[in-house]
Amino acid sequence: MNPGAAISIEHVTKRFPLSALGSSSLKHLVIDAFRRRRAKVFQALTDVNLEVRQGESLGIIGSNGAGKSTLLSIIAGTITPTEGRVRARGKISSLLELGAGFHPDLTGRENVFLYGAIMGIPRAEMRRRFDAIVDFAGIGEFIDQPVRFYSSGMYVRLGFSVAVQIDPDILLVDEVLAVGDADFQRRCLKRMNEFRHSGKTLVLISHDLGAIQSISDRIAILDHGTIVNVGGPLDMVDAYHGRMLAEAAGGAAAATEWGTREALIARVSMTDASGAPVKRLPDDRIIRISLDYTASRRIAAPVFGFGVATPERGVVFGSNTQIEGVAVPEIAPPGGHVSFEIDASALQAGNYTMSFSLHSADHQTNYHRLENALSFYIDKACRGFEGVAALPVKCTVCAN
Amino acid sequence: MAGGGFLAARRELIESLVGRNLKIRYKGSALGFFWSLLTPLCFILIYAVFARLLKFGGLTPDYLQYLVCGIIAWQFTVGCLNDSLHSISGNANLVKKVFFPRVILPLSTALANLVNYILTFAVLMLYLVASGHARLGCGWLLVPAFAMHFALCLGLCCLCGTSNVFFRDTEHIVGVVSQAWFFTTPVMYPVSFQLDFLPAGIGWLAYLNPMTGILALYRKALLGHAIEAGGCPPAAAVAVSALVCAAVLVAGRQALRAGDARFGDVL
Repeated sequence: MNPGAAISIEHVTKRFPLSALGSSSLKHLVIDAFRRRRAKVFQALTDVNLEVRQGESLGIIGSNGAGKSTLLSIIAGTITPTEGRVRARGKISSLLELGAGFHPDLTGRENVFLYGAIMGIPRAEMRRRFDAIVDFAGIGEFIDQPVRFYSSGMYVRLGFSVAVQIDPDILLVDEVLAVGDADFQRRCLKRMNEFRHSGKTLVLISHDLGAIQSISDRIAILDHGTIVNVGGPLDMVDAYHGRMLAEAAGGAAAATEWGTREALIARVSMTDASGAPVKRLPDDRIIRISLDYTASRRIAAPVFGFGVATPERGVVFGSNTQIEGVAVPEIAPPGGHVSFEIDASALQAGNYTMSFSLHSADHQTNYHRLENALSFYIDKACRGFEGVAALPVKCTVCAN
Repeated sequence: MAGGGFLAARRELIESLVGRNLKIRYKGSALGFFWSLLTPLCFILIYAVFARLLKFGGLTPDYLQYLVCGIIAWQFTVGCLNDSLHSISGNANLVKKVFFPRVILPLSTALANLVNYILTFAVLMLYLVASGHARLGCGWLLVPAFAMHFALCLGLCCLCGTSNVFFRDTEHIVGVVSQAWFFTTPVMYPVSFQLDFLPAGIGWLAYLNPMTGILALYRKALLGHAIEAGGCPPAAAVAVSALVCAAVLVAGRQALRAGDARFGDVL
């Protein structure tokens, strides 16, 4: 283990026997023994190598079933790897699968002390930290109620609060941000940032790409049990985003292109102000589209259009040469070039995709349409607001 | 199980878990902890009536006291067996989320039952002294009796707790086996019933059932009943039981070690 490493994951492979995932019984064991059949296995992780440095915060992203939680459990020591090994330096506290392992029949107070005892913290010490724990969790007098009466939000808040307050050297967090209200999420992020800045090591899983990007020093992308990429948060979120879109485009759901193909949108790309292609939305938040088309015959009065959409809300904004009043008298072989500049500064943070179309002026003939040809990601909106787009607002309030 | 140092370091955790087990057992019941004292009293009452009605009184001297000693000691064993089934699988939420030495779970189950047993045992002692049946001349024998009994129970807790994680059938098997075990143990009848089946000189075979030796020690210590071993030296017979207790403890430890790496996968 390198000096300066807090966690070192070496050639970790994890296979789960599938029979063990379902109901296990003596019957299966006996039957399997007679049939001399090896139980089917599910390979959750394959040769994972990763080192987390002391004081580093590492984010792990990946689709459901990629092995993120398994990896975290292996670091926590609750699951033993089939091959390879994990070494960790310091006290590990973990918040796996929402909740610190509370017993439903015990009160919040009893659970807090039990967790402290499991983590090896003397009772006297826990007593001193107790108020801070309850305070952070914000559950007030519910602390003396059995936790089975807690709402899921309260449960997670108390779990997070205990996990953080026992002052571990390494904190493992699996998707806390998915639960809890906006206020608690903000406090969680703040607390995790404090934790990070005090030189402690943090490993977290989240599907909230914005949050994980803001809190991680590095991000690892896990896909089908292998680490496919590790790097800076911004690059990794972009790369992950690209992967997801590529997967979505490969699926049947995203019909990618159609039309009469009398003229084709041959290539679209996003560029920066100098015209060089970029993968990410430039900092000035201007989407510059460079579109090359080819035409197999002369077509009179075509229209070039585009649409910006989010996966969740559909089309956010769309326009075309007709709406914008740009006259295109005709296109002719071999083809040509179109460019759009779209100011995206009003958009909310999130993932966006762009589609393009080339059709007749009366919209009756679709020559070519490209769905989800481009994508971009907005890390943080220009200003705070609700919804998808920030519209200009003027507001006055006066007393009568 | 790295010995004393490990236990000392984890003392507070073990205390917490034992406390939790006891709390959960009586959670919501009006009399709470008093049940630990009330239950043995009720047992004594029930068996007093039953022994009289069935005219079992002649089986041994002080038959009622003989029976009650056996029943109360047996309750500890069977209580551990039943609770141990869920000592690991019932704590899946802990096992899956936090790493700590897993032996703590069956250990705290056994200890919680021991606390309960000591309370009922105190009631039993009071009853024996009050009713004038106590013959405590060999009272020191309670020390090996408790040691053997606890070792046996801890071993069983490890075995059953581990086994039930992987094979849920364990629960049903334990139910049947403990019933059979009850009737093959001299709880309600004297050891001589079993010794009659064995040729003289190999009476120690009856003591392969560790509960036979444990109950014989308790009855010797509390009631002054001689340890019958069909011609074998009583000490040798009890030693056989003690060896079996130790073997069960070792087997339990091995089972727990073997299972440890896969608890997280299965739970």
